[in-house]
Amino acid sequence: MDFAYMKNVLPLYEKAAVLTLRIGLEGIIFATFAGIVCAVILYEKVPVLRQLVMVYIEISRNTPLLVQLFFIYYGLPKAGIVLSAEICGAAGLAFLGGSYMAEAFRSGLENVAPLQRESAYSLGMGKLQTMRYVVGPQAVATSIPAFLANVIFLLKETSVFSAISLMDLMFTAKDLIGLYYKTTESLLLLVIFYLFILLPVSLTGAAVERRMKYAGSGS
Amino acid sequence: MKKIKRILIPLLVLALSGCLAGCKNTKDNYRTLEEIKKAGTINIGVFSDKNPFGYVDENGNYRGYDVYFADRLAKDLGVKINYVSTEAANRTEYLQTGKVDVILANFTVTKERKEEVDFALPYMNVSLGVVSKNDRVVKSLEDLGADDAVIVISGTTAETYLIKNYPDIPLQKFDSYATAKEAFENGTAVAWANDNTEVIAFAMQNKGYTVGIPKLGSSDTIAPAVARGNTSLLEWMNQEIEKLGEEQFFHKNYDETLADTYGEEYKETLVVEGKKTD
Repeated sequence: MDFAYMKNVLPLYEKAAVLTLRIGLEGIIFATFAGIVCAVILYEKVPVLRQLVMVYIEISRNTPLLVQLFFIYYGLPKAGIVLSAEICGAAGLAFLGGSYMAEAFRSGLENVAPLQRESAYSLGMGKLQTMRYVVGPQAVATSIPAFLANVIFLLKETSVFSAISLMDLMFTAKDLIGLYYKTTESLLLLVIFYLFILLPVSLTGAAVERRMKYAGSGS
Repeated sequence: MKKIKRILIPLLVLALSGCLAGCKNTKDNYRTLEEIKKAGTINIGVFSDKNPFGYVDENGNYRGYDVYFADRLAKDLGVKINYVSTEAANRTEYLQTGKVDVILANFTVTKERKEEVDFALPYMNVSLGVVSKNDRVVKSLEDLGADDAVIVISGTTAETYLIKNYPDIPLQKFDSYATAKEAFENGTAVAWANDNTEVIAFAMQNKGYTVGIPKLGSSDTIAPAVARGNTSLLEWMNQEIEKLGEEQFFHKNYDETLADTYGEEYKETLVVEGKKTD
């Protein structure tokens, strides 16, 4: 173990961790928005849009992120659209995550017994009110575990960013191994940094899950 | 906090102990000449996307200057050849972990690399070069602005050189030749620094590019590498390369694999025929 080397390259890992987190969070935020919109469209069975969403979900879930990134980063410039690597990374993550988030929220929505919705309607509540006060909160609570699993999944997916020259944690480690040949040290730092990012997410996840248990799927 | 500790500490212990046990072994992870002969197959690490040195052609066959040499090695050794596609940054790693017996992936001999692997006699000359678009030819790295990115491939001598000598130039790093070329064509950076052989080939194969800096840094050689300490294989390779030098094998190799790209112009500057250079 070469601790002097590890100390030397620490700033590079810190920079990479910040980049990984920043692009990861950007991607996750957009994915969540996309997911909510798609889930509501599916749940409310909006004509035409519903078909479009289904096509999107199938494309997004059945192609690897790497392929999506190649398309955005190397493909789009051929059509005259040149985006920075960082935007491409976040866009790719949002495109991939959107469908997973949509499925998570949709299953949350569908888990709320139809009777509740019908009761709300019969009490004179409108569609928006029903979503806002009756179905929405319960759906959010039940979809939290799936949502957090997606967050962790998407943060880990950033490890393919090397393909588009983004110096994320994985590429930084690979690059340093190629430069200085300190494989074990570089990989150990990599593991530590990923844990550093992901452990808090999964621990907060567990805590939030416990607190959100109030939502019964009452029939 | 307690929970974090409960998870983290065993993980760290696991990682550390795994290394202590593993690190010692990595040095002996090679197969000797006898073992390779007995197994009947030699594993050779080559590039799959570095035309015309190591690449896969339309029919899925490995081709190029490195590959032509690799084929001959296997033939003279009397074994079958198993090509292992490698990226620049993986080359030492592949040798140290025993994934390949020989690296023949345009591997430049450097002092740092000599501490990690053993190089046989050189078979090619090389130095660094920089290629840029015709509308803005970069003639000197001093001309670059603060935001002008330069493309390099992770794990190459060009990367090491630029980090050491021009730490302020923003580098755009790629892990394969294929993606670097694609990005360069898309115009994401003003220049691409690499082995001069590679950038010259790129400018010849693609219209609209000029090698503004044909030589950067020192002149180096390219040689086959084996795992450190694998003397039986190393000695056999050196004898083989000397023998091949007598029959001017690498000139023939140049005619077969490189002449289409470079013409006759670079033959004598590029080719090294089995002799000690140091």
